[in-house]
Parts: sequence; C-alpha cells; structure tokens
Amino acid sequence: MKHQLNIAVKQQSVAIERFLRVVRHRGFQLLDLALEGQDELFQVKMTVDSDKPIYLLTSQLSKLVEVKQVELQPMQQQAIG
Amino acid sequence: MTGAELLIDLLAKHGVKEVFGYPGGAIMPIYDALYGAPVKHYLTRHEQGAGFAAVGYARSTGKLGVCFATSGPGATNLITSLADAMMDSVPVLAITGQVPTAAIGSDAFQEVDVLGMSLSCTKHSYMVERAEDLAEVLQEAMHLALSGRPGPVLVDIPKDIQLAQVPFHPWLALEEEASELDMNEVVKAEQLLAQAKKPVAYVGGGVHNANAQAELMQFLNKTHMPAVSTLKALGSVLPDYEYDLGMLGMHGGQAANIAVQECDVLVCIGARFDDRVTGNLAKFASKAKVIHLDIDPAEVGKRKPAAASMIGDLKATIPHLACFVTDAQWLAHTLEMKKTHAWRYDYPGEKVFAPYLLNELSKRMPNTGVVCCDVGQHQMWVAQHMKFTSPHNHLSSGGAGTMGFGLPAAIGAQIARPDDMVITVSGDGSIMMNIQELATIRRNNLPVKILILDNQRLGMVRQWQQLFFEGRYSETNLSDNPDFVQLAAVFGIPGQTITHASEVDAAVDALVASEGPYILHACIDDKENVWPLVPPGAANDEMMTENA
Repeated sequence: MKHQLNIAVKQQSVAIERFLRVVRHRGFQLLDLALEGQDELFQVKMTVDSDKPIYLLTSQLSKLVEVKQVELQPMQQQAIG
Repeated sequence: MTGAELLIDLLAKHGVKEVFGYPGGAIMPIYDALYGAPVKHYLTRHEQGAGFAAVGYARSTGKLGVCFATSGPGATNLITSLADAMMDSVPVLAITGQVPTAAIGSDAFQEVDVLGMSLSCTKHSYMVERAEDLAEVLQEAMHLALSGRPGPVLVDIPKDIQLAQVPFHPWLALEEEASELDMNEVVKAEQLLAQAKKPVAYVGGGVHNANAQAELMQFLNKTHMPAVSTLKALGSVLPDYEYDLGMLGMHGGQAANIAVQECDVLVCIGARFDDRVTGNLAKFASKAKVIHLDIDPAEVGKRKPAAASMIGDLKATIPHLACFVTDAQWLAHTLEMKKTHAWRYDYPGEKVFAPYLLNELSKRMPNTGVVCCDVGQHQMWVAQHMKFTSPHNHLSSGGAGTMGFGLPAAIGAQIARPDDMVITVSGDGSIMMNIQELATIRRNNLPVKILILDNQRLGMVRQWQQLFFEGRYSETNLSDNPDFVQLAAVFGIPGQTITHASEVDAAVDALVASEGPYILHACIDDKENVWPLVPPGAANDEMMTENA
C-alpha cells in the first residue's frame, strides 16, 4: 500500500541519510521524494510503498533526533500515478 | 582550552571516572589531554574490547560507559560493540578521532566515513564540524545515551577540532521530555485485567533500564501474577517470588512457555516480542490479549498487536496494573507446571554436566556477584541454571548475540564494581574471540574469574547441525584449541582443568575462593545439548526435549 508522508527534518545531509536508511531497513520502498530547505529544516515530501502497516515506519522515524515532525497525508492516487 | 581538553573536562564534570580505549594517530590530542587527567583510562588490546568493556561497565551499574578509538580501523573495530549496545539498549558514549577536517573526503590515511557507518548501530551520532559546537554536542550526546530508551551515541571528532581552542561553555541543563500517560489506555488495561482468568506478566529488559524492579515486585506481590522473563530481564523478578517461571522462549523453561501459550492476558512490561522469545509469532500467546507497557512507542504493535498500551516510564506505569488478584485456580496450575518441569541435576554420567556446575556456582557465589556470558550453549545454560537478583549481575549479549562479549564486558564490570566478584562464563569458541584481553586483566591486576565450558565444539551450531542439518558438522570442531590453562598462565593467571563430575564441587570452590584472577577450564561432554529447544517455525509449546 502506498503512503504519502510530510516530514520536517534538520537541514543536514546526515539527517536525510539517517531517515532514508530507516525507510529502507524497515521494509518500505521509496517511490517519490522531494525536499526543500526552509528555516534550518528540510521539508520532505515522500511517497513509500509496503505491505506493512505505515505506523511501523512513522513510529521509527519519529524517534530520530533530527526529525521534528512526521505527518501522514491522505493519499491522492492521481498524484502518484 | 583545546577541544581535547574540553572533552576530558566535560566527562569528569559528568561524573565519568573511567574510560576504555586504544590510541592512534587521529585521536592523539585526546590521549594527550588524558595524560594526568582525573579521568582514568584503561587500555584494552583491541578496540572491540574497549567497546565491550564500556558496555559491561554500563550494564553492571546503569552508568554511562565510555570508549575511545582512533579513526579508520580503530573506529570500525568499535562498531560491533555499538551494534550490541544498540540491540540491548545500553548507554554508551563512543568517541572516535577523525582525520583533520580538510582531509575528510580525500581518502586520507586511516580515513573511514564513521558517521555513515554509525547510522544503523547507534541511537544517534555526530561528526563535529565546528569547534564551537563541540561542548553542546558532547553534552547532548551524554544526555541522549542515558535518557528515554538508553542506547549508544557516537561522536566523531576531527583532529583539528581536538587541537582547536574552544570557547568555554556552561553545563547545559538538558531535561528528559516526559510523555503523558493516556488514561484511556489505563482504563482499557484495567478492564482486561478485571476479566482475566489466566494472566501472565512477560518481563523484559526495560524494567531494569527504568530502574523499576521495586515497582515490578510490588505489582507481582500484590497480584500474584505468574511471571516469565526475557534473557535480558533475568534478575528483575526476584528468584524467591513464588510464581516466577523463569526465562521463556527458544531455550526457556517448559512451565514458562506453556503458561504463556495458555494465558488469556499477557502483560508485556518493557519487552519487544523478540523472535527468540516468540518462536512462531502467529502461534505465540494466541489466546491472549496483550497489554503492552514500554517507554518506546515504536515497540508497541511492532511484532504483536496490543489491546491496550501504556507508553511511558515503567516506574510510573507499572503501579497502575496492581488493581486485581490472580485467579487461584490458575496459580495452582502454574505452580504444578513449575514443579513438573523443574530442572534436574541428577546427571547419570561421569563427565562434567554443565547445568550442574553452573547451578553449584550460582549457589556458592555471593548474590552481589556478576556473571558475564559469552554466546552459545553456555549462555543458555547460565540463563537456565543460575539465579540473579538484578540484571546488573547478569550481563549477556541478548539482541546481537555477540561472541567475544564476555571477557571484555567482565573487565568493564570489574572496574566499575571493584569490590564485587565478577566471573565470565565462556565457551571454547567465544573465549578465543577476545582472548587478547587477558593482557588487560594482567595489566590492571583485575580479579576477574574465567570459567570455560569446553566441549571442543562450536556447541550451539553443532547442536543445530545435529538436529536440523543431518549431522553434517561443517566447521564446528574446535578440538585443536590451545590448552587454556597454559594460555592463561602466560598472562600470570592461575587455574586448573577438570574432566570428571567428581571434580566439580572442589573446582567451583577454588574458583569462587580465589582472590585474584583464576581460570577454571571444565571439559564437558561434547554431545551435550541445550534443552528444551523450540525448533524453527514451531510454537513455544512444541518444545523438543532430551528424551523426546
């Protein structure tokens, strides 16, 4: 199942590496990723796919020190094709 | 003040009195700052030894364990101990030297991307990029390692930042964020317990991390709920608790596993439904509704759904459960199972029977003594046949299952608790993985005792080859190991070898009575296996036993 997440993360390359590692390791496939720097944060929009419940990912991402906010967005089927 | 001096100053201010490590080029300024400093450094003979000594120090006290290594191979050698600390939630601070900032990314001598390597095996990690950030990073790192669910934190410090003049920083008052307990979940838990006919408490390492043994025992003594423990929790439930059923899981006791399979409410307290605990997850406690207490919300529902979850410090959440008394019929049944499946030590053979030896050791050790295991059959025998009154006294590599853990962890524990007896129980496979640390024992004249249960085999792997790989004993014969007593003698450590059951009692007495370091090399039956065993894919009540 596909899910869209909005994540606010500290504006550091290692923060992006760290959360992408978690996405991969916890069994979620990255379908789409966009990020924009703003006020010392990256605002990340990400679409992932997995058979696993999404809370298994959001709960792990929320633990990361550099991650300030994790929001699950309602999925727009047309937007991801 | 230089960055290196600031590091040592902050460690001392934080109460760190001892650190473990190994010097090298990129960390030389820090070792220079250590010279004559109030923080005592213990030189191990391999960085992995330093990492595990820090883990042993932390696990035997609850304090922060600190280890140092240089860049490149020094740092890579630390990684296994950090992964181990991550899996078992141990507060460790690892400081690594890095090549100078200007050389980073140039494939400089002894340069490895340590920050990149640390991502999967630390709670958090830093590479310090500016000297003015160093004080804040170090204080945050120490706070993170110890707060919430503890874990290892790594700080990689380039050599130029160690040498740079850094501004003075006041001590930061970092406070833990307390999460508010959801009282709706407490009500749900109380309702589940009110209806429970066959409840079981499933106790994990989180109880010890939360320093909540008193709250746990108050809850158990009030409710009389039968309790089972994970490997890491052993010692949290006091051994004289009438309804303590011991360890559950792959090599757990039969009473513990059957009780969990029969229970209707499973109260998980600071545990994580690890695969070695659950066996076939779909069949694990399949009749039970789960009440899950944990400080880490990511553990709730990760492996098994919870009907009620109480997120927060276990010291605060456990008392909410003491709201009922367990059904007498269920208690009588669990006591009957405990009696039926009690361990037996009346081994008929003439060879040394490891469970008997460990049980005797347990009886003769002071209850303040510390046992540090390695990994394999002996580790499971310790968990089954020795009694502990605190997880501070039973150090065993649980999540990572790291062979080579025992000896350096024992060194860390002995340095942290110089007045307590520390014994490492190892196998003839594991002991060779960090055998170089005998030199650290000698250098510091540490009274660490060593018990090697030697079956001339990589025993646990051999057991699985026998049971599940048609007796194809691939690379598990270790009969060409050195004479361990002679080897220890080279490091000035006395000891003896025993080969017969009749020698066990006197040998255990000699081990316990020795004032300094001592090695007891016990040659055990090479065909002895660990029973019971839940085979792969099976439910926990489908245990294989010796006579099955």
